[in-house]
Amino acid sequence: MYKYTPYIWLTLSVILVQVFLLDNIDLGASISVWIRPMIFPLVILLLPVEWKSIWVLLVSYVMALVLDMLLGGSGIYVITLLPVALFRSTMLYVASRRSMESSDQSQLLARLPLGQLMLYISLSLLLYHSLFFVMETLSTANMLRLIATILLSTFTSILISWPIVRLFTSKVIG
Amino acid sequence: MNRLLEFIKRIYVVLLFILLESIAVWQYATSTPYTEAKILSRTTAVGGYFSKKITNMNHFFSLSTENDILTHRIAELEQTLERERELLADYTEESWQRKMTEEGDLHYRYYPARVASMTISHQRNYIVLDKGERDGVKKNMGVITPDKYLVGYIIECSERYSVAMPVLNTEFTMGGSLQMTNYTCSIRWSGDSPYYVDIIDVSTYAEPEVGMAVEAWSERVPRKGVVVGHIESFELNAAKTAYSARLKLAADMSALDNVLIVENTHYGEIEELMDNIDNQSTPNGTK
Repeated sequence: MYKYTPYIWLTLSVILVQVFLLDNIDLGASISVWIRPMIFPLVILLLPVEWKSIWVLLVSYVMALVLDMLLGGSGIYVITLLPVALFRSTMLYVASRRSMESSDQSQLLARLPLGQLMLYISLSLLLYHSLFFVMETLSTANMLRLIATILLSTFTSILISWPIVRLFTSKVIG
Repeated sequence: MNRLLEFIKRIYVVLLFILLESIAVWQYATSTPYTEAKILSRTTAVGGYFSKKITNMNHFFSLSTENDILTHRIAELEQTLERERELLADYTEESWQRKMTEEGDLHYRYYPARVASMTISHQRNYIVLDKGERDGVKKNMGVITPDKYLVGYIIECSERYSVAMPVLNTEFTMGGSLQMTNYTCSIRWSGDSPYYVDIIDVSTYAEPEVGMAVEAWSERVPRKGVVVGHIESFELNAAKTAYSARLKLAADMSALDNVLIVENTHYGEIEELMDNIDNQSTPNGTK
């Protein structure tokens, strides 16, 4: 149980930062339209690699439900977070060419080279933001604006997430 | 069986993912009118595509039945034609001219159409037909089966397609009359079974019977002969002022394919008259 305590703290702090800080920063309407960082997928991305997919999926579902209730998402967080949980192993494989089924999987994230870790986090956040904004607009009428919002929000999320990822992988699970 | 279990065991994560996603998409789709319109229109388009493919296949396999219906219809028309020929043989040139002028002004025109897609499992069902404005279809035209059973009426048209509101829609309203008695009633669908509709406000003098046919009474379809269904059960309302009855639908709505769209060529005139009455009844128009 104690080995999962850091993950519980990570979950709570990331959700609190998202709900009370990132979703409430007033950057002005002209910027807020383009940049909406979302860092809570980190919780799913940093879960122990050796966990079975079913547990990752269920944790994602519970977390997304909580976010839907807190942020009034009406299901959009479940829709967009579950694919990230399902394709987490694929993202890790694409980024590092390491399979989760290999024997050296414990603390794999802490031992990944920084470039591969960055690629893993970036790809996953890009997937999440793409799904989120596509589902939110449900329209291809303004495609360029949609793409720009996805890229700018993903980039901002990576910038905010990276210190948390480094701290967590090196100090906590490393 | 073991192989099936083994297979499910291998893909249970994906199955759970699909289940949870479906629930969330449904929840999201029904959360606001915008998401409902956007998501449901996409799913309807995809569903409509597959539905059309399946309908085409079903149509191929039901060709022999269709042929039978057409043969019967041809026989009926031949008989009518023969009768007309006999009548015409007795006409003078003057009466012939008069007859031709009268027949040129047809009261009802029929347009054959096929069902492109439809639903019967919702509270508000709709039927998409493969004929639209370019084929002469307009709003408020009636829709019947080739056997002259009521299906519904057109509520929206595009260039190549039209949408009909079938009897199986809780917003459907139309008048009806008990066959042979001319007592009127109102037709409604309560949304519970796709095989039954209800009629209300039937006069206590009507003496309904189980098995009695109920015909549509509307400007959208011919006055006589379009059957809605047959009375399955009936009862007096609590105040004992009118009967209500449950009808077994004459048309099999779960197997619709070929339909006839009916145009009442006098409908515009009737509508104009009704509009005039409405205008006179408004506060400014009241005399």
